[in-house]
Amino acid sequence: MRRTIRTAVLTAILLVPLVISAPADWGTLTSAQPAPSYTYQGTVRAVNARAGTLELITGVGMSLRVVRLKTAPTTRLVAAGASPRLADLKPGDVVRAEYRRTAAGLVADRVEKLEVGAR
Amino acid sequence: MTRAPVVVAVLLLAVACQKPVQPGDPLRGLSRAERDRFDRGKVVFDSVFTPETGLGPLFNATGCGECHENPAGGRGDEVEVHATAFHAPVCDPLAQEGGPVIQQHTTPLLKQALGIDQEPFPASATARAMRTSPVIFGRGLLDLVPDSVLLTYADPDDRNHDGVRGRPNRFVDGRIGRFGRKGFVPTLREFNAGAFAAEMSVTNPQQPTEEDVGGKPLPVGVDPAPDPEINQEQLDLTDDFVRFLAPPTPLKVGKDGRRGRDLFSQIGCTTCHIPTLRTGYSPVQTLSNREFAAYTDLLLHDMGPDLADICLGAATPADFRTEPLLDLRGAEHFLHDGRATTLEQAIELHGGEGSGARGRFKALAAADRAALVAFLKSL
Repeated sequence: MRRTIRTAVLTAILLVPLVISAPADWGTLTSAQPAPSYTYQGTVRAVNARAGTLELITGVGMSLRVVRLKTAPTTRLVAAGASPRLADLKPGDVVRAEYRRTAAGLVADRVEKLEVGAR
Repeated sequence: MTRAPVVVAVLLLAVACQKPVQPGDPLRGLSRAERDRFDRGKVVFDSVFTPETGLGPLFNATGCGECHENPAGGRGDEVEVHATAFHAPVCDPLAQEGGPVIQQHTTPLLKQALGIDQEPFPASATARAMRTSPVIFGRGLLDLVPDSVLLTYADPDDRNHDGVRGRPNRFVDGRIGRFGRKGFVPTLREFNAGAFAAEMSVTNPQQPTEEDVGGKPLPVGVDPAPDPEINQEQLDLTDDFVRFLAPPTPLKVGKDGRRGRDLFSQIGCTTCHIPTLRTGYSPVQTLSNREFAAYTDLLLHDMGPDLADICLGAATPADFRTEPLLDLRGAEHFLHDGRATTLEQAIELHGGEGSGARGRFKALAAADRAALVAFLKSL
């Protein structure tokens, strides 16, 4: 027991200089390091539920582009009063997707199916 | 006291003698700063891009002024090609194959790399459309008509049983559209930024990525200019130039023209070609809360199978947005693809929801038809 306390105290002493010499934003660089979140709002072009991927049509004016998003087990899917599965989304649906850029590509945190008037 | 009537008379005379707005003129009442932006924007609009300054590698034109010319902002004689795939009820704008605008030219570097003279026609397309370049006068006013106003004219279920079922188109993100022959694009700013990218492949802060070639990435080295190829200020200036282009003053009409205007309403043309619209608030005073001659409801209408071509957004192949009737006096071709060479032909090609008004036009006496056309030629 005494040995455990001694180890903890020694560790703390060794770590103190490291902590106080760290840059001011060190905390944000480590603990709060989630990648920034971005949003796409567009039309679903294709869904591959097995692969967990989603293709959206976005763009500006007549210049349109396809973006490919991956979903993760933590991705939340939302629709008016419901929690759809990825497979419930279909081409032509309009969605708002919040996503992060990762080394593996764009990963959706949240995908919301929007109700669009008179289509 | 006795001076007041004279002052009023002088003011009335001044208004009466005001020079009519000509095609290509700026809106009246712009501030000095706004007029300066109009002039500087015209310089960007009239610029000719090269591969070194951002053109291509796929493109339809080397500058805005190549298609909107005589004068700047007017119509041109170019006809471009669009394509989409319609799998009812879903419209695929073929973004994965380069989008709905099929560029007809390539830069020398792309031609050298791929041996192509134009963008390949998408294999997945179910239809091809031809599109003339419209005049772009008065677009700043059309941009400012609130969506809520358009929705008051919509009647998708034909509740008033007049056979006309106006409804708004929707952009890919679900917002109400109004610009383009299918009324697909929600705002003028987006239309302009998209046109730089789709017509000239000039990337900009709103569309910073180049289009690929039929879904395949561009070969290395064919696009020498760094993205974005124009900056925000150039984009904003161009946008202000277009936004501040005034609708030309209609010509004065005689007795026949006035009768034609009445007939235009009596036979039902104004159900869709709504004569006047009102803008909402704008920080540009001369655009703000202003009634203007529009002759459109900015909504989609089924125009029948003979005119049908591509789908786009919520627009089916037969749906077209009511064309604003601006500067008809200068037009030599009519309808979205220029197939009509006279106004009579254009009216007679109205099918679908326009067939009622077309039938009533054809039933008019020859003199009345001529009067109606005389009115249209005054616009």
